[in-house]
Amino acid sequence: MITRQFGSEVRWMLRRPRTIIGLFGLVLVPIIISFGIWTAGGEEGGGPPGLGAILQGNGLVVPIFTLFLSLNLLLPLVASIWAADGLAGEAQHGTLRGLLVAPVSRVRLLFVKLFGLTAMSLFAVTLMAVVGIIAGTAFLGTNGMVTLTGTTLSTGEGLLRIALFIVLVTFQMVAIGAVALAVSATTEHPLVVQAATMTTIIVFQVLGQFSSLDWLHPFLITTGFPGLVDVMRDPIPFGQIWDSTLLAGCYLLIGTGLAATRLITKDS
Amino acid sequence: MNKRKVTLAAAAAGVLTGAAGLGLLAMPAGAGQPPSLPDVSAESLVEQVLTSKPGAFGGTVEVDNKLGLPAISEIPQLADGKHSARIWTDGNGKLRLALPNGQSEQTIVDDGTTTWSWNSQDNEVTKSEHKADEKAEKPETGQKAIDPATAAKEIVGLTKEFSDISVDGTARVANRAAYELVLTPKASEKTLIREVRIAVDSELKMPLRVAVLTNGTSEPAGTVGFSQIDVGPQDPKLFEFTPPATAKVTTPEAKEQRQQGKPEVGIEQALHGKDPQIFGTGWDTVVGAKIPGEAMAQVPAEAQGLVDRFTKQVSGSWGSGKLFNTKVATILIADDGRVVAGAVPEQVLFDTIGQVK
Repeated sequence: MITRQFGSEVRWMLRRPRTIIGLFGLVLVPIIISFGIWTAGGEEGGGPPGLGAILQGNGLVVPIFTLFLSLNLLLPLVASIWAADGLAGEAQHGTLRGLLVAPVSRVRLLFVKLFGLTAMSLFAVTLMAVVGIIAGTAFLGTNGMVTLTGTTLSTGEGLLRIALFIVLVTFQMVAIGAVALAVSATTEHPLVVQAATMTTIIVFQVLGQFSSLDWLHPFLITTGFPGLVDVMRDPIPFGQIWDSTLLAGCYLLIGTGLAATRLITKDS
Repeated sequence: MNKRKVTLAAAAAGVLTGAAGLGLLAMPAGAGQPPSLPDVSAESLVEQVLTSKPGAFGGTVEVDNKLGLPAISEIPQLADGKHSARIWTDGNGKLRLALPNGQSEQTIVDDGTTTWSWNSQDNEVTKSEHKADEKAEKPETGQKAIDPATAAKEIVGLTKEFSDISVDGTARVANRAAYELVLTPKASEKTLIREVRIAVDSELKMPLRVAVLTNGTSEPAGTVGFSQIDVGPQDPKLFEFTPPATAKVTTPEAKEQRQQGKPEVGIEQALHGKDPQIFGTGWDTVVGAKIPGEAMAQVPAEAQGLVDRFTKQVSGSWGSGKLFNTKVATILIADDGRVVAGAVPEQVLFDTIGQVK
């Protein structure tokens, strides 16, 4: 029963034209990055800072670099679109009313929406990673995976690191999406949800720049993003990765709880 | 309707748990209850620290630095703020250091015969083979700076005769029980430092944390300590290094050639260069050197501007120059190229600089 609802939710999401266009846009990112690094060639000091510096001839890092960059704006945007369509979009079309009066628990409805969000986030992130692996290998070549530590991992280990990173990034996306779902439950306008989510993410990142506000930083989900790059160190230090994931977990709990509260008390 | 209330309560509980979790995550990890350990005399603890031979271990070192130092290109971890580094050693001279710096990383691996230094930012490996007459046991400069065990041993060895030493309770460092060894400079020592606190592991007698306190503050000016340590044999693979196929491999000589223009390298070289001159003993030791005139002239104008921002102009019967103050050390650079530095007030430097040849 619930699996059928899960399936129909994902099918429903995939059928929307904007989902297809969005996914297409996401896929372009790793291709553009690989192409850009390839054309920059072996120029001295021409590479971007951080992870970008080890991209040359190291195609397997492209998926991680792409996801790491996209996590700051692009992926939260995508998560907010899906969350916005899930409840506010349905409310706008008048279809939410039907779901709310149906003899289906509203909590179950929320979980179906949350599942759709998770499945689509995982799909989008994996798609970006796979295209990243292909584009990176094609443009930059590969010979195992060189880590930030300077060690060279075998291709198998490299793919494992990519898989781990996919899971971590998806979890961050779902956490943001859950909070967006809570907003989505309160309004009939999907754009409000997107605007609220993106404004929050951007404001969080700006607040993160002020060292005088460092007491606030541990509360911001964006603070956890840079630490995920530790996946590219060898051996992996799990401290920051755990902290980021726990932080996102708190957001997930708060978002889901608020969304459930709102849905249960909502008049049909 | 009762079911609805239950669900609502569950949802509210979820929100509260999330909020509480955020609060917990934001709280700094508590130091925990100090352990109770059998009493030990300061003298025997010092003796044990000096004779202890740290075996194999791997751990994470946290450096909390409020010294007011400008960033040094070779060791960015020494700039103000909190930094962490990872260190592994097999206890026999093989060593691995990982110094993350933002999203890049510097790795130094000493495999017993060769020191490899990798910097992800410029995708470059510096390879330096040990010379035959060089003792492998000599710690790397980088290790001295960030390994609390090595740093503490040096401090204790150099200053124990010039300090009042006591054991001041216990502490828990990196989840290990430790004694707090306190070295206070004797009243006759002219130094900026009030005391140095060293947490010594109660079992291994290995220093786990060093904190430097200066006159007039209660917060340490600098702390170097393990936040996590795992004592015992380490994975031998950690002490091997194969340069990535994509990286440039150079020698330290070639690298130095390229960096000649950088002023901070010049001053560094001069200070622990060929023959630094040592004046005084104990806490008020002053290190002096003379930078050749041509090296001073090579400093580019913009770098000169940078130096001027950090320093103040001073003059006296010894001549004139620039004075650079940090909480724990003072450096005086005379215009004619004489340099003196020490953990001392500026007056001591003015008195000493005349002796630099």
